[in-house]
Amino acid sequence: MMFFAILLVTMFAALIGEHFIGPLAPHGVRVLLMPMIMFYGALALPLPGMLALAFCGGLMWDALHTNMALVWSADQTQLLDVNVEVALGWSIIVYALLGALLNGFRPLFQRGRWDIHALLAGLGTALIVLLEYLMLTFRREPVVFVFDQEIWWRIGGAGLVAALLAPLFFFVLNYVAFLSGYESQPARGTARSR
Amino acid sequence: MNRRNIIISVSVFVLLTGVVLTRGPHGMRRLQSGFLGMISPFLKSGSSLEKKYREFREGLKKLDQLEQENGDLKVRNKELSTTNQVLRGFEAENKQLRKALQYRESTIFTLTPARIIARDASTWYNKIVIDRGFADGLDPKGDQPVLTEAGLVGKTTVVDDHTATVVLIADETCKVAANVEGTREQGIVKGERASNQAVPGIGLNFLSKQAGLKPGQNVLTSGAGGVFPSGVLIGTVKEFKARELDGHASIIPAVDFTTLEDVFVIVGKTK
Repeated sequence: MMFFAILLVTMFAALIGEHFIGPLAPHGVRVLLMPMIMFYGALALPLPGMLALAFCGGLMWDALHTNMALVWSADQTQLLDVNVEVALGWSIIVYALLGALLNGFRPLFQRGRWDIHALLAGLGTALIVLLEYLMLTFRREPVVFVFDQEIWWRIGGAGLVAALLAPLFFFVLNYVAFLSGYESQPARGTARSR
Repeated sequence: MNRRNIIISVSVFVLLTGVVLTRGPHGMRRLQSGFLGMISPFLKSGSSLEKKYREFREGLKKLDQLEQENGDLKVRNKELSTTNQVLRGFEAENKQLRKALQYRESTIFTLTPARIIARDASTWYNKIVIDRGFADGLDPKGDQPVLTEAGLVGKTTVVDDHTATVVLIADETCKVAANVEGTREQGIVKGERASNQAVPGIGLNFLSKQAGLKPGQNVLTSGAGGVFPSGVLIGTVKEFKARELDGHASIIPAVDFTTLEDVFVIVGKTK
């Protein structure tokens, strides 16, 4: 429970921190820290913990980024139309599905492996950006799927940055887990004690 | 972990997600506004730290550089004060002439200065967060124009007590009715989803195929739609292309969104 609270606070801090990291030149690639911590949680925590993290993370992300246009009457008293691009809560589902996928690799993580998971964190981050792009393309008129080099850079670049940063984050979070008395990789701990 | 616990946790998750997904637009806006209010102290602190760090780096400039800069600013200040005096005279004269001709008095906007405390972290949106909210006179419904002395920035969307989100004109969802200075051409300015720069470019759409715009021509707000006042500079034409059905011009924004720090929100107008 204590480690879950730590991960939740770290996710919140990562969400704030992302606002102060500008897009990386020259392709405007974003550094997405919060999904990375969510993915770590998916590996380190059992299923209920992962679902709780996915719920909080997805809700926080959507509350901050979901775009909604309200059309008011001329005298500003009546709401005429609402255009919601991406529904509030969609990220919860995406996070939970990707989290469940990573949670399936948990036995491997518990045995001390981290490399596949770092790659999966990168892949998962790229998938989140891709899904976001697909969803808003469906919602914006006219529906035209543009997949040029810049779009791919933004999708793949976010995943690449996440894959490169994931080992560092996983290492730090593993250490925090150790300090808080939570055994995220019990098999490795057993091997050491031998 | 036993099956019963898994079933319970999945059920609770599905239930809570369902509650969130079925929220109406008002509930959604309230939640967004509430969350923005919750994180705004952190964003403000982060912004202050960032500013202090930048000031510290700038403070390392040489003394003679600062003296030079100070001298230049004093000259600029005098220039602007003089121009302001002249303009006041013109304003009074304009009012008198309008009265004489029984014209409706032109609107004068009230501006609220605001500081940018955060930039959007998502990939596909171009938004900023400012340190002014409805407690500072902003409309909680949003849709108030935001600009700088250089030109148009965007409009407010989610508004909280002391913070507000501003969607930039570089965002695909922010559409502005515009015209090209010195021509009869009118169109809609909107951001491009992604371009070969860190900040997406903007384009002027629905022009006539024969518009033949030249690079460097000013693009101004037309005032159609009622959100943005007319005559505010949006940018300059970079390139014009005639398409199958209409004309399209790429625009260089008048405002550099990457270095933007302070903005003004048009909070009301006095007639």
